[in-house]
Amino acid sequence: MSFRKIFTQHIHEEKCHSLSFYQKNGGYEQARKSLHDWQPDDLIETVKAANLRGRGGAGFPTGVKWGFVPKNTDKPKYLAVNADESEPGTFKDRLIMEKNPHLLLEGIIICCKAVGIHHAYIYIRGEFVFAANRLQNAIDRAYSEGILGENCLGSDFTLDVTLHRGAGAYICGEETGMLSSLEGDRGQPKLKPPFPAVEGLFGCPTVVNNVETLANLPYILEIGAEAYGKIGPEKSPGPKLFCVSGHVEKPGVFELPMGISLRTLIDEHAGGVWKGRKLKAVIPGGSSAHVLRADECDVDMDIESLAAAGTMLGSAGVIVMDETTCMVDALLNIMRFYHHESCGQCTPCREGTGWLEKIAHRIAIGEGRMEDMDLVTEVCDRMVGKTICALADAAAFPAESIVNKFREDFVAAIENGGSPAWIKRHPASTGGAATHV
Amino acid sequence: MSDTSNELISWNLNGEVVQNESGMTIMEAAKAHGIEIPCFCYHPGLSIAGNCRICMVESNRSPKPIISCSERIAEGLEIQTDSEKAVDARDSVMEFQLINHPLDCPVCDKAGECVLQDHSYEHGPDRSRFVEDKNIRHTKELGPTIDIWGNRCIVCTRCVRFCDEISGTSELCVVERGDRSVVDVFPGIPIDNAMAGNTVDICPVGALISTDFKYEARVWNMDRTTSVCGGCSRGCNVEVEALDGFVKRLMPRENLDVNDWWMCDHGRYGWRHLYADSRQVTAQTTEGSVLPAEASKALQQTLESSSSTGFLVDPFMTCEELHLVKQLADSMTGSRVAGWLPADGTEESFPGGFTISAAKYPNRKGVEEIFGADVFGSAASTLLNDIASGSVDTVVAFVGGHGFDGAGAEWNAALSSAKNRVVFTTQQGAWSEGAHLVLPATAPLEKEGVWINEDNRAQRVRSCRSLTDQNFPSELVILQEVQAHMELRSRSLSAAGVFRELSESSSAFEGHSHSSLGDHGTPLSQKPAAVGSEGGES
Ligand SMILES: Cc1cc2nc3c(=O)[nH]c(=O)nc-3n(C[C@H](O)[C@H](O)[C@H](O)COP(=O)(O)O)c2cc1C
Ligand code: SF4
Ligand code: SF4
Ligand code: SF4
Ligand code: FES
Repeated sequence: MSFRKIFTQHIHEEKCHSLSFYQKNGGYEQARKSLHDWQPDDLIETVKAANLRGRGGAGFPTGVKWGFVPKNTDKPKYLAVNADESEPGTFKDRLIMEKNPHLLLEGIIICCKAVGIHHAYIYIRGEFVFAANRLQNAIDRAYSEGILGENCLGSDFTLDVTLHRGAGAYICGEETGMLSSLEGDRGQPKLKPPFPAVEGLFGCPTVVNNVETLANLPYILEIGAEAYGKIGPEKSPGPKLFCVSGHVEKPGVFELPMGISLRTLIDEHAGGVWKGRKLKAVIPGGSSAHVLRADECDVDMDIESLAAAGTMLGSAGVIVMDETTCMVDALLNIMRFYHHESCGQCTPCREGTGWLEKIAHRIAIGEGRMEDMDLVTEVCDRMVGKTICALADAAAFPAESIVNKFREDFVAAIENGGSPAWIKRHPASTGGAATHV
Repeated sequence: MSDTSNELISWNLNGEVVQNESGMTIMEAAKAHGIEIPCFCYHPGLSIAGNCRICMVESNRSPKPIISCSERIAEGLEIQTDSEKAVDARDSVMEFQLINHPLDCPVCDKAGECVLQDHSYEHGPDRSRFVEDKNIRHTKELGPTIDIWGNRCIVCTRCVRFCDEISGTSELCVVERGDRSVVDVFPGIPIDNAMAGNTVDICPVGALISTDFKYEARVWNMDRTTSVCGGCSRGCNVEVEALDGFVKRLMPRENLDVNDWWMCDHGRYGWRHLYADSRQVTAQTTEGSVLPAEASKALQQTLESSSSTGFLVDPFMTCEELHLVKQLADSMTGSRVAGWLPADGTEESFPGGFTISAAKYPNRKGVEEIFGADVFGSAASTLLNDIASGSVDTVVAFVGGHGFDGAGAEWNAALSSAKNRVVFTTQQGAWSEGAHLVLPATAPLEKEGVWINEDNRAQRVRSCRSLTDQNFPSELVILQEVQAHMELRSRSLSAAGVFRELSESSSAFEGHSHSSLGDHGTPLSQKPAAVGSEGGES
């Protein structure tokens, strides 16, 4: 079977986001069938059988997650759609919401039918004003056409969908941070257990799924679990959106089967490294993943292959750096982000992210010491696996790998009085001035 | 604290199989076996935040270290508190806690009772790998009694949770993120609730500072007395801390039957009257002052020359003092006893279960137990009438508490119309002017003895006065001396000895002794198992 794009096949057509366009192309047929013909358990089993893995970053099997929600409970159950998309280098959910909002809504209906949910919240990143408007219009249309609300699509199923705009915090993309924020509290992750499936939004069982994850559902029902499972590798199949940014000729979002090779993605789809330069480094899964050196880039873009290569698929935000990149500056840039975004509740993350930024900054401005490279590694070791959420790991993974895979850049910055960019801007300096790069 | 049930769980702690009730957290259960796991954010009276991470231990169920304040014991669980992994996790947290900490212990009021100091001594590195500039966070007033020194804050959120869960006032919050995080109040809404002082106590570091205590004393130099607050009928268990004989601070003492871990600010800061300029410190007659050694003689002469005496007692007196008054009154024909009560204030209840009683005195129950339930009622109206009609010629009045209002307007007027007046008072005032004999009274925190709180719980109070500070004998001493002069008593006893007399003569107090009451008190109705004769006579 040849690969068919499900998210992006029509995005260049003018009215692709409209309800009529969507329905003309078979939209809401799978939602209708799920509401009228499918048993909830069969839906869950089908998604399990399809091996759909979460597209938000952790890659958790979606059907299995749904199965954790207690069947017999007096409490309402919720779906919290993670549309916070703030992982650096990641801009795929935004594309779905802007160009194909009804696909997300159809996925939401299928998930809610499977788990017995009657209220879904979409938590959308605050900066996505255009996407939020598009999505809200789509929701309003769906209500007025009887697709949402009471008696969805002529069934006896009721489903409400509420769009909630965040205020621009990366940590509100972490599932429990998102729930805290939705509840009106400070956006801070919560202790697990209890897991959201058991005790989530407002203390009730809650499914948290990423936008792209849910947008896969109509297609799984359409072609069946078996056919879906054959797209890409067995353990993490499916069509996938890859975001390529950085030093490439044609940055953008590319819909390809899971398991495409990283080289093909960069060289064929993204036009190759720009300006005829050579590749230096790639972070394949948003900035939270371990960096790959150019010689490690012969790897397939799926969950298992990237894990075997010591990194992760994460959000599939592929950040490409060419040979002119100073990895000290790259480290500083990335650490500044995590330091800024750490919610600050856990000691190792609160203090570690700031410490890492300060060390990176010191090296970049020519005040580095040789022992700083080991210090970064040890600080990272002291952060990983010791916090409430994975943000500490997300900061430590790139830091530790950048320092250890690109030691030559660090040695050069330490010996030469700063990173090349710093020296260029401060030619007379032998290091030591306390300004930012 | 977690809910536990009686079912026993077998688990493994540092290589040994141990048992605990199911539902306990690893930290609680380990403690029961003598293993103290360090904590910052955990507080038994608050919800679990799990943010400081110092309590991490190694588990056979998880590749990562787990936090013992939140995770519960389970059958087959194996926990290591001192393995390489556990120690590394703890060391990591200590290093992180200290990198931005100002380490200004020499000028920090918390020094000496700081959890960060203690853990750092035990688990911390002896030098820093942090060569960067430390972060600066705000130092500011959060409310009338509390300042924050943000640089010291370890963001444990104990104070925030206290205001959310216990006082229910929610004034505090964490602002900013990452290592800029610090506790603050909302603009224009200071922390100002009647339990606010507790936030300073539970702050593990010197971030929250009591403006009342700031720079008053190094905590290790203070003497501590285990006592009970006399501010209201709740009877919160407290520690009275004094430097060179002067009270500097009151701290709540844990008692789950009375005040949990808390006390109110009225009680906490309500000790300044001890050092008021108007404090009555010498004994006086209309002729002039009386030496301390002659005070009891003066009182005895007054009593012996009186043909009918009325005793007016107050609900700040200890059961021992009351017992001595009763013995005197019983020995004197034509005498009677009544009591006066200060006016009620307002009751204040808080969502965490804490209540400040409307009755602003500590021992009404004791007075009623010893003199009968009508002591403040019909006995009081009789005495008022008798004073007005002149049928008592001497009134011996006890005017305790903070004493600024004497015994209240009605009694103050009645007292000045009495033919003869003996007034034990803590403060000078119209009620003692022109009295036949004025004697200094001990204020609540200066008494030795037993009070009975509104729940009928008998609790020991101890005097914060140091021995060298006893410049005037207490009521306990003077009343016994008077009894000795009157040949009612052969020798003077300590408060414990007087209490034993009381327990031998009253069925309500029977069986109790100072030592059986212990530091946390006992309901009067709950008789202790016989433990031989104790009582510490002197
Ligand atoms: C720091 C942090 C930030 C995250 N940000 C996002 C995000 O922006 N969008 C998202 O879908 N998942 C994000 N995640 C992952 C979510 O916690 C969660 O795993 C995901 O939403 C689950 O959905 P899925 O199973 O469909 O992938 C983040 C996780 C962490 C630790
Ligand atoms: S790991 Fe960092 S971001 Fe996550 S909860 Fe802890 S402090 Fe907050
Ligand atoms: S002020 Fe004290 S109690 Fe409050 S969060 Fe900071 S360290 Fe904890
Ligand atoms: S509640 Fe009553 S006893 Fe407790 S501290 Fe306050 S005044 Fe004192
Ligand atoms: S005491 Fe357990 S995390 Fe703070």
